[in-house]
Amino acid sequence: MLSIRDLTKTFGAPPNAITAVDRVSFDVARGELFTMLGPSGCGKTTTLRMIAGLEPVSGGAITFDGRDYTRVPPQQRNIGMVFQSYALFPHLSVFENAAYGLRTRGMAGAEIRRRVDEVLRALRLDAFAARQPATLSGGQQQRVSIARALVYRPSMLLLDEPLANLDAKLRVEMRAEIRRIQREFGILSLYVTHDQEEAMAISDRVALFNAGRLVQVGRPREVYRAPASLFAADFIGRANFFRAMLAGGDGPSGRAALPGGAIVSAARIVELSPEEAVRVPAGADGLLMVRPESVTIGRAGAGVSGRVMRAESLGGAMRYTVSAEGALGAATVDAWRADEEFAEGAPVVLAADPAESVLYLRKRGSP
Amino acid sequence: MTPSAFGTRAADRALPLAIGGAAALIALLFLIYPLSSAVLGAFVKNGQPVALANLTLANFERFLVSASYQRALWHSLATGAAATALATALSLPMAYAVARVAMPLRATILGLSVLPLISPPFIGAYAWVILLGNSGIFTSLLRDYLGIGLPSIYGFFGVTVALALSYFPYVFLVLQGAFAAVDTHIEEAATVAGASRWRVLRTVTLPMILPTVAAGMLIVFIKAIGDFGIPSILGGEYQVLPTLIYYQIHGFFNLNGAAAIAMVNVALTLLALGALAWINRTRSVATVSGTARAAARPLPAPLRGVAIAYVWLVLIVANLPQAVTVLYSFSERWGGTLLPSVYGFENYRRIVGEIAGPAMNSVVLAGAATLICLVFGAVTAHAVARGRIAGRWAVDLIVMVPFVLPGLVIGVAYLVAFNEGPLVLTGTATILVLAYFTRRVAFVFRSASAAIFQLDRRLEEASAVCGASWATTMRRVVLPLIAPALLAGGILVFATLIGEISVTVLLYSARWKTLTISIYEYLLGNDIAKASALGTVTILLTFALVAAASRLAGRNMADLFR
Repeated sequence: MLSIRDLTKTFGAPPNAITAVDRVSFDVARGELFTMLGPSGCGKTTTLRMIAGLEPVSGGAITFDGRDYTRVPPQQRNIGMVFQSYALFPHLSVFENAAYGLRTRGMAGAEIRRRVDEVLRALRLDAFAARQPATLSGGQQQRVSIARALVYRPSMLLLDEPLANLDAKLRVEMRAEIRRIQREFGILSLYVTHDQEEAMAISDRVALFNAGRLVQVGRPREVYRAPASLFAADFIGRANFFRAMLAGGDGPSGRAALPGGAIVSAARIVELSPEEAVRVPAGADGLLMVRPESVTIGRAGAGVSGRVMRAESLGGAMRYTVSAEGALGAATVDAWRADEEFAEGAPVVLAADPAESVLYLRKRGSP
Repeated sequence: MTPSAFGTRAADRALPLAIGGAAALIALLFLIYPLSSAVLGAFVKNGQPVALANLTLANFERFLVSASYQRALWHSLATGAAATALATALSLPMAYAVARVAMPLRATILGLSVLPLISPPFIGAYAWVILLGNSGIFTSLLRDYLGIGLPSIYGFFGVTVALALSYFPYVFLVLQGAFAAVDTHIEEAATVAGASRWRVLRTVTLPMILPTVAAGMLIVFIKAIGDFGIPSILGGEYQVLPTLIYYQIHGFFNLNGAAAIAMVNVALTLLALGALAWINRTRSVATVSGTARAAARPLPAPLRGVAIAYVWLVLIVANLPQAVTVLYSFSERWGGTLLPSVYGFENYRRIVGEIAGPAMNSVVLAGAATLICLVFGAVTAHAVARGRIAGRWAVDLIVMVPFVLPGLVIGVAYLVAFNEGPLVLTGTATILVLAYFTRRVAFVFRSASAAIFQLDRRLEEASAVCGASWATTMRRVVLPLIAPALLAGGILVFATLIGEISVTVLLYSARWKTLTISIYEYLLGNDIAKASALGTVTILLTFALVAAASRLAGRNMADLFR
């Protein structure tokens, strides 16, 4: 098991020091694919590079299976790493690129051949062994870099935005491929990306970073359904926010009164940090968050009233952009049932699915 | 996951540190120590030890009282400035034409333009006597057919012409690059606004590249005031600072006096360098876009013809000395006629028995220096590029200063530092090799820096993560990838060292006489035929080497000198 405790990275000397990674802690179990997700500059790549040993650690500790790795040079960590730019050795063939880590370990020639052939077959690269990297497509080059990282059976695999240089269609194919290989090898993997969809699709667990801090860790579905902060709700998927008043609640759930009087029994209540609390408009107790697919759109009934500003077809669903009472910005509704369509300009009523609603409160208290 | 599985030793971590330390020690011993010795020596009377009590300005007083010192200073300034002006005047139209006029054989032109830089300047210097001397080819032609009398080739006129034509490529190449890189949209904007071609050039293009012009001029000036070979051949009684240094040492072995003259020479160079640094800082502000684009614009046919003719005329004139040297080397009788009357290999037969030793010496000395340059240059370039050495500017300075300082100054510094004291090297091959290394390491350093700069550092990280030690990463990843650049830099070092004279002339000994010293002795002994034959061999050798380097680097020969 990989354990990260209070990992910190500061650049520059005080008083001008910049904290790029701020006391980050998490654990990753054997065989798990753990994704560090966040906007650019959030510290996820720096964290990965510290785990790789490529970046000196300013504070905290990295342990693997109980052994302290905090100051161990990268050569001695037995890790595999895949870079965004692939970083293939341009002067070596595909075979020699893959064999590199075995040669540094002084393995015998026959064994090297056997192991490299095996890993190239697993990555469907056996036909390219003699080729130079420059003659391969981007996807093939990325597979070579994965082969190079896996061939010496590292104890963990680090992937730094491995799909960022590929086009959209190939990205989707390659992420499935990476997941397949990761499962096949059963290797503990750390994956860095800024693409939340990619993170959702590939990970066992996702760690969301913001401004050098780890803000939330959880299974993808969990992070999506129960974002622990407004930032998390915003960054992962689309989120609609409505001003809300607390109308009673106990334990983890609570009832919120929306503008227009509708009452929603939100499945979860989250208390906002002071920094995020300022985003709650004056006169409201908090914000009710609900995902576009968890909003029901209708002509009448209980709910928030609004008007359709834009109606667009997503193929399977209709996406309505609605100017709704009490919504922060325009509300987005994805209607998957095609029984009723709404024209642009039509008056509508929006209802939130209580089970999928999260109530963010400025301060927890009784009504 | 036990470390023993990787064979990674603690020594691997110490290796970069050890190499960095060794580099610093070499820099200290062979760059900083000689230069500071010369500085100190300049303030001590000849024969006295360096001590606080002995400090004096006496060596510099000569510049106040001695007419010959004052003349030498004045001559250096005058020939330096005049040669710079002449080189710039020749280069401006030529650079514009090559960059902007649809020019056939542009790559060839650029390649030919650096020939004067490649062939050792002093070898061609004597050719100017044959061309422009009292009974020279052109002198006779001009006198007989046009009635024009030329000033004497010995002195200001000859030194200036030879310096200008030897060093004009520096300003030409810089200008050509600038003309090619100017964003043509800006000029097009002026044209659309109604400006004529001439007006665009005068009000838009030239002002934009003015800092570049100044930068190129300063390089020529620095080279001109540091040159020894040309004034030593064409100067005669007309002394400049480098020849004054030479005679102080060869005539009187007045090391401290020579050091003082050297300091004046250094001061002039540093002044020009300071101006250059200042201009380079402002230059980045100017709108010269980095991406060179095809900026050739259609020109009326007659004008285009004039431009092409002009470019080739300058090229031919600048390469005349080399051509004359080759011609002379094959002439068996040349007297009273425009061209030699009998051709043959007699001159080569005459030198064949004499060149084996000097040629061997040149190859050994240049080869050893090149090897040291390669190791030191590559290692420091890598350390600097990867941020392992604090104070990048300091390394740049240490490497670049000996490169731009006049060779004679380095020679004096080495003599002062290693003639006595803790490390006595005078008269050995070591002193030549080290001085060569000091003067030329910049070639390798710069070309290695450029190559490493283009190298994705993730390649090294990937190698480290794969378990490779620092040494393995260097050997298997970095070195193979920068090898072409290193080799090109190395060949350039070797080639230019084969033609080196200004350091050699102060530091050589009877045992370690080089090709250039042999040529110099032939010239002083007035055996022009032998000098030409040996000169031709040297020119062809250096040319072949530089051509090989440019092929290896995949760049035009001209780009090796930019």
